[in-house]
Amino acid sequence: MKVSLRWLREFIDLPTEDPSELEQVLVSLGHEVEAVERHLPDWSGVSVGRVESIRPHPSADRVRLVTVTTGSTQREVVCGAWNFAEGAIVAFAPAGSTLAGGVELEPRAIRGVQSAGMVLSERELGLGSDHGGILVLDPDTPIGAPLEDVIGLPDVVLDLKITPNRPDVMSMVGVARELAAYYELPFRTPELQPPTVPGRSMTKVTIADPEGCWRFAGREVSGTAYGASPLWMRRRLQLAGVRPISLVVDVTNYVMIELGQPLHAFDRDRLAGGIIEVRRARGGEMLRTLDGIERALTPDDLVVADRENAKALAGTMGGEDSEVSESTTNVLIEGAAWDPPTVMYMSRRHGLRSEASARFERGVDPNLPPDAVARAALLIIELGGGESPAEPIDEVARAIQPVSIELRLADVTRVLGPGFTTQSVAGLLRRLHMEVIEGEPSTVTVPTYRRDLTRPIDLVEEVARLWGYDRFDETIPTGASGGWTREQKRRRLMWSILTGAGLSQAVNLPFLGAEDLAAADYPEDHEARSTIRIRNPLNEELSTLRTSLLPGLLRSARANTSRGAEAVSLFEEGRVFFNRRWGVDERVPDQPERLAFVCLGPFAESRLGQPPRLADFDTAAGLWRRLATGLGLEGTSIEAASEPGFHPGRTGRVVLAGNAIGFVGEIAPSTAAAYGLEGRVAAAELDLASLLAPPAPWVFAEPSPYPAVDFDLAFELAGDIPVAALVDATRAAGGDFVEDLRVFDVYTGPGLAEGSRSVAIRYRLRSPEATMTGDEAGAVRQQMIVAASALGARLRGAG
Amino acid sequence: MDPLEELLATAPQRAAAAGTLEELETLEAESIGKSSALAEQRRALPKLPAEERPQAGARLQRIAAELSTVLGSRRAELEREAEAARLEADRVDVTLPGWDLPGGYLHLINQTIDEVCEIFIGLGYQVAEGPEAELAWYNFDALNTPPTHPARLETDTLYLDWGDPRDEILLRTHTSPMQVRWMESHDPPTFVVVPGTVYRADPVDATHLPVFHQIEGLAVAPGITMSDLKGTLAHFARQYFGPGRRVKLQPNFFPFTEPSAEMAASCFACDGSGCRVCAGTGWIELMGCGMVDPAVFTAVGYDPAAVTGFAFGMGPERLAMIRHGIESIRYFVDNDMRVLRQFR
Repeated sequence: MKVSLRWLREFIDLPTEDPSELEQVLVSLGHEVEAVERHLPDWSGVSVGRVESIRPHPSADRVRLVTVTTGSTQREVVCGAWNFAEGAIVAFAPAGSTLAGGVELEPRAIRGVQSAGMVLSERELGLGSDHGGILVLDPDTPIGAPLEDVIGLPDVVLDLKITPNRPDVMSMVGVARELAAYYELPFRTPELQPPTVPGRSMTKVTIADPEGCWRFAGREVSGTAYGASPLWMRRRLQLAGVRPISLVVDVTNYVMIELGQPLHAFDRDRLAGGIIEVRRARGGEMLRTLDGIERALTPDDLVVADRENAKALAGTMGGEDSEVSESTTNVLIEGAAWDPPTVMYMSRRHGLRSEASARFERGVDPNLPPDAVARAALLIIELGGGESPAEPIDEVARAIQPVSIELRLADVTRVLGPGFTTQSVAGLLRRLHMEVIEGEPSTVTVPTYRRDLTRPIDLVEEVARLWGYDRFDETIPTGASGGWTREQKRRRLMWSILTGAGLSQAVNLPFLGAEDLAAADYPEDHEARSTIRIRNPLNEELSTLRTSLLPGLLRSARANTSRGAEAVSLFEEGRVFFNRRWGVDERVPDQPERLAFVCLGPFAESRLGQPPRLADFDTAAGLWRRLATGLGLEGTSIEAASEPGFHPGRTGRVVLAGNAIGFVGEIAPSTAAAYGLEGRVAAAELDLASLLAPPAPWVFAEPSPYPAVDFDLAFELAGDIPVAALVDATRAAGGDFVEDLRVFDVYTGPGLAEGSRSVAIRYRLRSPEATMTGDEAGAVRQQMIVAASALGARLRGAG
Repeated sequence: MDPLEELLATAPQRAAAAGTLEELETLEAESIGKSSALAEQRRALPKLPAEERPQAGARLQRIAAELSTVLGSRRAELEREAEAARLEADRVDVTLPGWDLPGGYLHLINQTIDEVCEIFIGLGYQVAEGPEAELAWYNFDALNTPPTHPARLETDTLYLDWGDPRDEILLRTHTSPMQVRWMESHDPPTFVVVPGTVYRADPVDATHLPVFHQIEGLAVAPGITMSDLKGTLAHFARQYFGPGRRVKLQPNFFPFTEPSAEMAASCFACDGSGCRVCAGTGWIELMGCGMVDPAVFTAVGYDPAAVTGFAFGMGPERLAMIRHGIESIRYFVDNDMRVLRQFR
């Protein structure tokens, strides 16, 4: 809402000239000032003149010699415009004055005749781009007055952001009302009653849809002249951000800005049957709106129709064939109260957001239409002539009465604190033009333009607003027991582990595309394909919710390598979404949180002169072990598995306490290639809740004071037996004596059977009860060898 | 002069002349070694007459002790020098980078969320998280936002093509639905903050993403007032942006709070005099807030006559952008390693 302060002063005597004070006051009332525009004249020394005489130029027939008086002086100028005659009131710039763009006007000779200045066009004044000739002012404009006084400059325009609950402030009167409340000053409304001739309005109005149309007021003006509106009106519309069109249309817009009621003007002669019916559109009905678009209407659309068809979309936009045009002499001004949601849905449905729909969808005072159409008729008759019948149109389908609200003092104090009395509350509400009968409760009657106020709490806000938010104290209440939950703490521990291991946290938008599903080559029945689509996506890329975190991470990896990054190590947590019900709340889709990481290129520690290790399966497995250890997860294992998108020979299923919780390994080369990635990509994707569920407290193990026995065993193991099986079997055979064991070498090559591996393991035995003798250690070692041989593993170097 | 006394007198000079441990060892052998004159005289002691023995013994003892002292101190000196030479040979260029140890960074958005949450944890708040694909009822209806409210239009909110069309499912537009879920399952007093991912039908530009984060807070108890709201947010501003921040509340509109306000803090960079950070206004708008609308209490089963409360909601991206001078929100989802490495 752009508010010209000069215009505003018609409605209130502002106690300040300082725009920044007004800005502060409006902001304190909840009306944010988005911009302050200062409008200054683009000229100096220009004043109002009257054309005294016109005579031909002695040697040129396309220009004339014009004598202009500004009261005190007379000057003759050479003028090429022909749109005026003797007696015309014009803007006159004598030599020495300055025009738009800072050009100083000098006296000069045109075809031999000295010209002592210029009669100006709107364009030369920077007021518009009218090329039709010079600016002709109203006949009653005072001669000799500085032009800026006539134009209304300088002026300041405050651009207000009005919150959706306050449509009543979307007008000059509305802003004046707010400032009047603040400053405790009176405000004025404009003259409303037009001169009338006896008689009734001719148009017969029927409201066939009382849900959509609460009230329909109209004023007819007959025999008015089509033409432009006066300069002052065009100026004000321009400052308000509205393009001037013609007198009648400009008046409807002017009154909308002035009073807040959007109006529509029909050419009454183009309303078939001289009737208006407000109804829902018929199936298949079409309407060509003022913007030239042929629109197919739906039965949800509310229209203003004549006997035959729709003439306007209610409260949104008029139709082309009944619009006011040069041939119009008889107009009908419509001012109506529309159901806000009806207008909102209609304007969105048709992509038509207008000043009118913006007001109607928020809610205009339903009792304003009769005044607004009267005001419009007054201005049209004053400025364009015509007459209006004394009995206007005013159909009321749903009478809206002021509401009364019972307000207890405690309603106020329990929210705003002590420091208010029944009297002080009543005083504040009265300043906001409410009627208050003081009592316990007080009875507060709210004007119908404040349809947002229906409950005591709504009045409490009004009290607070006018009293001043800056007057509240600062106190701090506290809760009884705050803090992170155990799961939240474990998530932060997980962050430390992963960042400590060299991974950085990524955040991706949680969407994926068909190309991501294709890149992993998921079979039809894979859960990653049970995606959920967004009904109203911004675009195709943001249309499908992700079922895996890996596509986002792989795209991020690619974005980094294409910027020249050698090493990329990222992890991400976030929800994935599946087309099935969520265990936590069956009313919404399954949306578990996952943890995923990808690493490619050099990873982890390296030192000078030694080539860095490149990320591969071992990276992924090592990160998982670090994570599992750090989070205190027990009973974890990895078993060989295949999963789309992962390398078929380098992927493990992660098992935690018997449950599969995800995959760890390398991305399949074809999948990596689909994202433009070269080389091995270590990756994992795991169920986050499983990782964060706090495990049972660990139990202390007394460290043994006795010496350890260390030895190595190397086994030849068939290629199809996992090393983990050998480790588990020998550990089990050693029982409680095994303090530690570590696979330290795996070798394939000469000296081994085809497909077999040599696996070297270092064991440390220690007894909790006594120093182990050589015989005891040998016995354990022998049990391990026996257990290994049960897997077909043969001790190497033992014949 | 007695040869032993002479040996003693010249010992310091000869010890000093020994330039290496080897030379010193030779000198030690000559002076106090098994075949030294001193040792020979000691071995000869028993042959002396009994009355001379104590005096001679004492003399030899004294000479031996003094020689040992002289030689020992020279040995210590030479050992120090040898150690120093060995360490000098071990010298490295300390300006070399050393091991390249792994290290990653937590995303700025989570650093910010944690910093904010911990300020409220300090005031006794709990932290709750909740579903992102949410029932329209929790996101809108329970928050006093009726079906005809413009925020519910498809131009503003992303809806999912899922489930029963009567139970509309959307991507939550704020984390407030989790406040509703929290109140449904916890009796007052309630002090909770809810960080999380939220969604809007906003195309990407320098200040908008369709997916971003919010931290909302809720305090409900008997007797909570506007002053509590103001004091709590002032405390937050002083904790996050530094002591001395002033705050102001100005009226605004949200369906789920009444009175509603926009909260701003005096600019941390210029202390309110106006600068680039605050666009010359001296103030930085931080969040929307207000007193919980009684309709929300009714929707969640709290008695609006028994409790009052306040709620607030802020954007951690915006907090971080202001504090670190980040011009575009897009950096939060680019995952550019050059950007992530700055999140220290």
